[in-house]
Parts: sequence; structure tokens; C-alpha cells
Amino acid sequence: MSELLIKNACVIDPLRRINAETMDIAIRDGKIVEDVSSAAEVIDAHGALTLPGGIDSHTHVCGTKVNFGRYMSPEDMRAGRTPRRGAMHATSGYSVPTTYGNSYRYSAMGYTTLLEGAMAPLEARHTHEEFVYTPLQDTMANTLFDGNWAVMEAIRDGDTKRVAAIIGWTLRAVKGFSVKLTNPGGTEAWQWGKNVSCIRDPVPYFEVTPAEIIRTTVEANELLGLPHSVHLHCNNLGMPGNYTCTLGSLGLIPDLNPRRQTLYATHVQFHAYGGSGWKDFCSKSEPIARFVNMRPQIVIDMGQVMFGRTTTMTADGPMEFNLYRLYREKWSNHDVELETGSGIIPIVYRRKNLVNSVMWAIGLELALLTKSPWQCLLTTDNPNGAPFVKYPEIIALLMSKKYRDAEFATVHPDTGSRVPLPAIERELDWYEIAVMTRAGQARALGLQDLGKGHLKPGAEADVAIYPIRIDEVDPSVDYQKVIEAFSQTEYTIKRGRVVSRRGECLVDGSNATFWVRPKVSDEYDMGRDPEFIENFDRYYTVRMRNYPVQEKYLNRNRCIETEAAI
Amino acid sequence: MTIVKDVVCPFCGCLCDDLEVNVEGGRVVSVGNACELGATKLAGEKRMKNPILRDGNEWRDITYDEAIQYTADMLLAAERPLLYGWSGTHGEAQCVGVHMAELVRGVIDNTSSVCHGPSILAIQEVGHPGCTLGVVKNRADLVIYWGSNPIDAHPRHLSRYTCYADGFFLENAFRDRKVIVVDIRRTDTANLADEFVQIKPGGDYAVLSALRAIIRGRTETIPPTVAGVTREQLIRVANLCKEAKFGAVYFGLGLTMTGGKYKNVRNAIELVAELNRYTKFTISAMRGHYNVYGSNEVNTWMTGYPFGIDFSRGIAFYNPGETTAVDVLARKECDAALVVGSDPAAHFPRRCLEHLADIPVVQLDPYPNATTAFCNVQIPVAVTGIDAEGTAYRMDGVPIRTRKVLSTDYPSDEEVLSRIYTLMREELGE
Amino acid sequence: MKYLMITGRTVNQGVTVENKTSVEYAEETSTCFMHGFDMLELGLDDGDAIRVTGPCGAVVMRAVASVEVEIGTVFVPYGPYANHIIDADTHSTGMPDFKSHVVEIEPTDEEPKTVHELMEELGGLAYDDR
Repeated sequence: MSELLIKNACVIDPLRRINAETMDIAIRDGKIVEDVSSAAEVIDAHGALTLPGGIDSHTHVCGTKVNFGRYMSPEDMRAGRTPRRGAMHATSGYSVPTTYGNSYRYSAMGYTTLLEGAMAPLEARHTHEEFVYTPLQDTMANTLFDGNWAVMEAIRDGDTKRVAAIIGWTLRAVKGFSVKLTNPGGTEAWQWGKNVSCIRDPVPYFEVTPAEIIRTTVEANELLGLPHSVHLHCNNLGMPGNYTCTLGSLGLIPDLNPRRQTLYATHVQFHAYGGSGWKDFCSKSEPIARFVNMRPQIVIDMGQVMFGRTTTMTADGPMEFNLYRLYREKWSNHDVELETGSGIIPIVYRRKNLVNSVMWAIGLELALLTKSPWQCLLTTDNPNGAPFVKYPEIIALLMSKKYRDAEFATVHPDTGSRVPLPAIERELDWYEIAVMTRAGQARALGLQDLGKGHLKPGAEADVAIYPIRIDEVDPSVDYQKVIEAFSQTEYTIKRGRVVSRRGECLVDGSNATFWVRPKVSDEYDMGRDPEFIENFDRYYTVRMRNYPVQEKYLNRNRCIETEAAI
Repeated sequence: MTIVKDVVCPFCGCLCDDLEVNVEGGRVVSVGNACELGATKLAGEKRMKNPILRDGNEWRDITYDEAIQYTADMLLAAERPLLYGWSGTHGEAQCVGVHMAELVRGVIDNTSSVCHGPSILAIQEVGHPGCTLGVVKNRADLVIYWGSNPIDAHPRHLSRYTCYADGFFLENAFRDRKVIVVDIRRTDTANLADEFVQIKPGGDYAVLSALRAIIRGRTETIPPTVAGVTREQLIRVANLCKEAKFGAVYFGLGLTMTGGKYKNVRNAIELVAELNRYTKFTISAMRGHYNVYGSNEVNTWMTGYPFGIDFSRGIAFYNPGETTAVDVLARKECDAALVVGSDPAAHFPRRCLEHLADIPVVQLDPYPNATTAFCNVQIPVAVTGIDAEGTAYRMDGVPIRTRKVLSTDYPSDEEVLSRIYTLMREELGE
Repeated sequence: MKYLMITGRTVNQGVTVENKTSVEYAEETSTCFMHGFDMLELGLDDGDAIRVTGPCGAVVMRAVASVEVEIGTVFVPYGPYANHIIDADTHSTGMPDFKSHVVEIEPTDEEPKTVHELMEELGGLAYDDR
């Protein structure tokens, strides 16, 4: 039995509506408890800001395309290298760190749970292997269904229950957590070198539209009772004028779930563009935020762009090819049979570039214009907008108008005529930041009932103690201190163990992977469906028996069984 | 007799997973669906019975404990140990290998460096527009084998993925799919081609440049022949490419090993990237060993680099030509070597072998091979895919778990390496 | 006479690659496939022994006619015989010139060595499975 007592913590725990109360936190055997014995180890937080462990609801850290990004970029590896030391293995990488690099750096920032943004089912085994080597964060994977043949055929036949059955079978087989759609329909079209241009544009051969894919998948997701909603990367990412497509996509979504959103739209900054081309490119964060404000069934995340070099990597193959045409950088592509695709290309976001400056402003605008922090979560679509180590700077920008103005003065001089940012006075407070970096994620991902994102007795003892006393710091002025504080915890505690202390990771880590197993009736068990089985063995190049990821790939197994309505 | 189905073949990069293996009396008695290479491997006999130690001019049997202790001592005593091979074993073992190299500050390299290492160098310059094998099977109406002879090296590639593999969008692959073979000699694969392009040795780069020029509309710059290929044929090939609905290029050692090496591959990748402006095209490497891509994947997620990683500075350091095995051996830089899942004495130039003869060498391998002659200790291990299981990465990056079809007393590579690693950590007080 | 030596994989080399102490492996990897005319010029019949000299040594192989090989080029399956005469210089790429060595070929009375003998010539000690 191991006990830990954190004394004098200044706790913000939005899921329990606790806002800067100084209290003690008692931990026993990895869980929060009411109290502990006098034998407990004691950490005195000295009034420091203490939050539940950070949760990143959309980050690309593990899997085939991430590793592609690594090995094609030795220059990125050279940009951040540490040797083996103590409990820490050697690390490499700046925008696409090695798995240990990701894990240690996230841990230093107080993050204890990560949702991998995209996992192709056929290659899920690779994601799970890398999860094990990201040992200081619990992990789970968004599973890609945007170009899934069996799903598209079932949608074409109008069979929502069959769609749910296929998704259910696949998630169980590959140990996925949630349903991801990336440029729905577009990734299949890209396997002919084409794309879809709007949500009504039918996919070649399959003749279903992105709108149908989105709507049917959302319904199927709710039939399966999954903890997270469908997670959508809209069509037309990065295109001037794409905000209408985004509004059209969001407008498809009914309110189907009382406990959480019905749709999670990710990295919306990349989807909030006005104009008809690069010359009149401008921000449309206002209509998007207005729309989201009126719809509790939608949650978005920022996808903030920060200036500097990074690597873009998404399942959105055709979009990445367009970046190649624009920038002529080294470009990788990886289409996955019957399922989805991916593309990778390095990029530099420059202040001198007007489009980049507008993009930078849009992410911040979305966070400031969305009224409820529960509806706009903090991400950079790591590493697409920026490496996650930039989160502290983003927090500071959101909390300080002064900092925003200072940064705004350094971007392209015409930016002001394209974006509303300079006129926005709002400064987020500590509570709102806590929502946007953990509590909001826990609710959006359906994890709060699994003990994540809060510190109620019974919860997982994932705690981050930041070296800052919020009663002594005015974040709107001392933004440098805000950046420093969120860059490195005094203590990051995971399952009741101190895993990181002032940037030094102290243990090997033993993480859990969360996945879902929806229970469906025999009639909807695709493992017995003759048509599904026949098509599988005919068109895939892996036998159906060899496709599922064996449970031994998971370090610690957190299987979530759900009752499906099929 | 038991029949094990859906067995994963541990020979080449095709990683066929539809084999049927008949096991009787603790032996593989027959293999169905496999090519000759896979069938022979799965039925392999003549395993080394126990670890051996070279004692002067004799060989002695030793125990696993002694062999493991020897290896740990050797690696700890070395200033610059080389840990080489890795492509013939499962990923779980490859991961331990990386930890070991990091611990002893050695150089870890895999067989890529003498196979598709140059392809990786090219990818690091210009990227890799590729796809999984099933995408090609289902869609490609044009397949190009460049500097690759799959009939000999990847025998079922054509029937499982290309020429004879019917796909969703191509009901009769043999009729609807065109094949172009580019090679310096008329191989068996060339005889199947709709269009055989014979290049003078060393001429691939020029031919690729010529094709790129034609695709970009600069045909007037092309001389009557380029590296032995006529302008007419070059135009024909370029047109076939542009008119295809989906073209897939598979290339082999004909590009990576001839003069120019990674520059040849780079040019081929750039050709494919450009073709993507007109139609859909992909390019992929015909990886040799069944898990060489796995060693690249493992090395990359753990260290940041796919092969040739030097830990002597404490950080991971990558510089092919300096930190790759052939060079480290040729320069006589390493003072000990651990070889796993490969046979450098058969596949490396002689100067490397001369140095192997001068340093302590331990090998993990089920069979006596050429490297055995240079070992101080050889530790026989189970064969992944037969009596050990573990993850392998197919040539297109798809990870499949190999199966165990029978049990033996041999430990797996992962077990032996883990024991060595633990022993070393204990001795270092970790 | 000078020839361009290409080394590469063959099915027979692959089938015996896990059994390198076998006669079949030695035979396959010590075979030098040549064009019929080149063999005629050197006065060679199928199976005759030849001495192949490269930049760092010489090795005895057997010549076999092949319709696949061009005049002036020879093909040797990947293995210890070819590597016996291949230089270790990789020109900073990690990859030796496995397909671009120029070699001298002449008939010889010597017999090809066994794989064991090749290894021992370089300082190894052959292991015989009992």
C-alpha cells in the first residue's frame, strides 16, 4: 500500500466546480481518497496551482504516419537530443519527437493522458507498440473510418445499424477508443488522385457524400454507446473560404447525447477561413464561434498555429499533396487499403507570411469568441500547428491581452484588416484554462466516469502541481511567468507516483490503454457476417484472422464495454 | 497431425500470412501456399543444438547461462561495440537491442544499410509517396518493377499483390493490368512484362531524368538514346504512366546498389511525385528480409533514426557512411560485435570479415552460418514464425504478428536479449 | 578480360540461405553467370572454374552460361564468394558497390573453395554441425 498526501495545494477542479481552494489531496494506491494515515509520504505544494493531470484530446504521437514523419526528418531529430540519464532513455526530435521524447516532455508539462489523433485500423498494431513506449501517459486512439469501404457500402444501402456493427467490430478488433473521420470521403477519392470539394460531393464509385458519411456515422456512434462522440476533421482543410463547408458540416449534427457533445470538430482553426483565394484570405472565426455558441452538441478544439518550423501529418492525403504543390518540400504519402490514408510534409509558419499570420490569429479567436471553455479545447493538432511544447505560450496568449498585442505587433502588418483579434479584449482565467486543458477533455472524451480529469475521491491520482501561486501573479501582465509555470511542473503525479519532478522523469512508467468493446447482438456481429468475411479476405491483403490486435500488445488493459443498441 | 492456418511467413518482405503448415511430431512436415523460399525456411532443420564457444581452434558446447554471461561481459568491456543485424527477428527483440546499445553506448545498425539504406536516404531527402500493398492490388492498372526481380526474390509478390492479383476495381488483373520491367538484364520477371526496358548498367539515373523531362513536356531535350534506351521507348513508357489511372512503382537493389545509389532512388521518387500532378502514382521499396522494415520502425520510434545509430556520445547520433556497420568494421572501429538475425560474414565485403576475425563476436542464430566461423560464442534461438512469435512489419509498413506453429525448448531472441540486458544493468548497478 | 560484376538474389540462393554450410549454397553463390560469347572468348565450357579478381582479392568461381546476362557483364548470386572480392568502401553511404565492381576473369585449374575455407582464409574457424 502506498500513500501520498499533497498539502496546501491550490486546487482548480472544474468538474467539481472547485475554483482555487487551498486543500490537501490524499492518495492511496494510485487513487484519490478522502484521507490517508500519518505514514503517508508528504508533498507540500506551498499554495502552488494544482490541477488534475493534463489531457490532450488530439495529438499525433504514435503510429505509422508519425513514425514516417520521424524517419524522413533526421534534421528534426537532431534539433532536440538528450542522452540516457537516470530513468530517462535518450530522446531525439523537435516537432516529431521519439516516443520517449514525447512522453517525457508531456510529463514535464503535467500531461498524464493522451488521445492519439488518428490510427488506421490495418496498422493499429504499430500504434499500440508505440503506446507502450510512451510510458508516462495513458493512451487511447481515434480510429479512422473516413474511407472505410464496408462502412461506405452500408451507408449507401441506408443501413445505419450495419454501419454501427462494422465500427463496433473494428474498434474491438484493433483496440480503438473512438471514431475518427478525416476528410470523410476525400481519403477514398485520393486513392484515385481526387478529392471531394464539399459535403455534397459524392465519393467516386461508392456514391455516398461526406454529409451522409458524417451523419450516419454520428448516429452509429450513439447506437454503440461510445464514451466519445465522432471526432471530425472536416473536408477542405486549409482552403480559403472553407468556413462554409465547416458550418455545413456542423449544421448536420443533431443533439443526440445529454452527457456530452454529439460531434467533436477538431483543429477548427484550419477550417475557419474566408476569402476566395490566398489574396483575400481572412478569418471567419466569428461565424464559426457564433455557431458553436448556439449548439451545445458541438465541441471544437483550436488547432492553434504558432510560428516556426514543424511537420504536418494527417490522414488527409490530398491536403498534404496540395501543401507539396505549394511549398515543394519533401512529401510523403501513405494510402491504407480499404480504409484511409495519410500524408506528411514539413512546414514553416512565418510571421512575414500574411496567410500564416491570419492562421495564428484565428486559433486564438476561436478560443476567445467561444463563450464556454468546455466547448473550445486547447490543442495545436500537434505537431501540425505547432509542437505541443508551445502550449504554455498559447495559454499565456489567451490569458493576456498585453501579450497578444505584443505578438500582434510582430506579425504581418496587413493582418489587422483580415482578422478580428486586435479588437478582442477577453482574457481567459485560470479556471477556464483548466477546463480547456483537462476538465473539458475529460468530459468530451467521456473519461470523467473513468476517473480522469478531476480529483474526486475514487478518481485516478493524476495530479499536476505547477510552480506558480495564482494569488501572486497577474496573468494578464506577468505572462512570462505563466509560460514558465506551465512549461514545467514541480511535480507530475500519475497513479499516485511522482513521475516527473522539475522536468526530470523519475520512473519507467506503466501506462494503460483505453479501448472500447461495444456489445452487439449476434445478428450484428461482423465476425459472423458472411458478406463482411468474404469481402475482407478478398480485398484486404491481410487475413481476417491476423488483423485483430492481440491484447498482449497493451501494457495495461482498460477495456470499456458499452451496451450497443443493435 | 495439426494443420495451422493463416501462418505468417518469416522470409521476405511480402510477409504472406496465408500459409498452411502441417505439423506432426514436433516438426513441420509440409507447407501450403508458400513459395519455395518460405516453404524451405519453415521446414528448416539442422538447427544448432546448444550454445557454442570457440576455445582456441576448437568449439565447445556451453550452457545458455554461460553464453549470456559471456555476451554481457563482452559488451560491457567494449569501448565501441557494434550491435548488428536485427532484420531476421521479431520487433520485441529489436526493442531490447536498442536499449542495449543505448546502455553500452555502442553502434546499432541493421541490414538496411546494405540493402535499402540508400532508399531511406533518398526518402530523407524527398519523401515517400507510397501506399499499402492492397491499394495496388485493388486499383493499379500499371505496375513498374524497376531494378527488381520479384520472381527470384519475392516470388509471390506478383500473385498476391500485382500482376496476377485480382482486385476490387480490376476483375481480371492479368488482362487489365500492364507491367513494365526496367532492368539491365532480361530476368524472369522481365519476360512477363508488357514492356521491358533494358538499361545499360549505371544508366538508371539518366533514364529517370529523361522520363521526368518527357512528363514535363520537354521531349525535345531527349537524345536518340539514353543509357541504351531509345527515345521512342522512353516516350512510350512516359505515356503509359500518364495514361494510367493508378501506377505503382516497385524498385529494388538495382537502384540502391548501382552507382549513384540513393540519388537513383531519389530521382525515381521525384518522378512519381511529379506524376501525381497528372494521375495517381505510388512508389515503394521491395524490402528484403521479412522484418527489416520493422527494425527501421523500432529504431525510429525509439531513437529517431532508422539505422546506423551511434550512442557513443550518449545521444542518438546518425551519419550513414560513418555509423553504418560496413564502415565501422572496415575502419576497424568496433572492438566487439553482437550479431542478431542476419549473417554479415556472407553478405559483407571481405575487409569487414577480416576485422570480425580480430574482435570478440557473439551471434544469436538458430543455424550455423558463415558468421559462425568468426564467433566466439553462438547462441541458438527459436525461429520467429516457427517456434517463436512476435511482430513483423511488411514491406509496406503493415505490422503482422507472426505465429508459433510448434514449441521447442529454444528461447526466443527477445528472451535471450532481455537476460543479457538485465545482467548488464545489474553489473552497472542500475 | 574485364567485366562488370553484378551481384544479386536468386531463388536458389534464397532457398539455401538458411543452410550456408550446404553444398547447394556453395554451388549457387560461387556461380558466375556469363554471356555465351564471353565464355567462348575465354574458352570456357559450362561449369569450368574461373579466377575472378576484384579490387581487393581473387576468388575461384564456376562459369555458367546465361541468356539473361549481357555481354561484358557477369552475374554472381549474393554471397561470400562475390563478397570476397568486393571492396568495403561505401563512398559515405553505408552501401558498398555491390553492383558496380569491374573484375578480371580468366580460366583456372583451381577449384572453388568451400564456404568454410573462405571463412578460414580470413581468420575464421569453421564450425561443423555434428
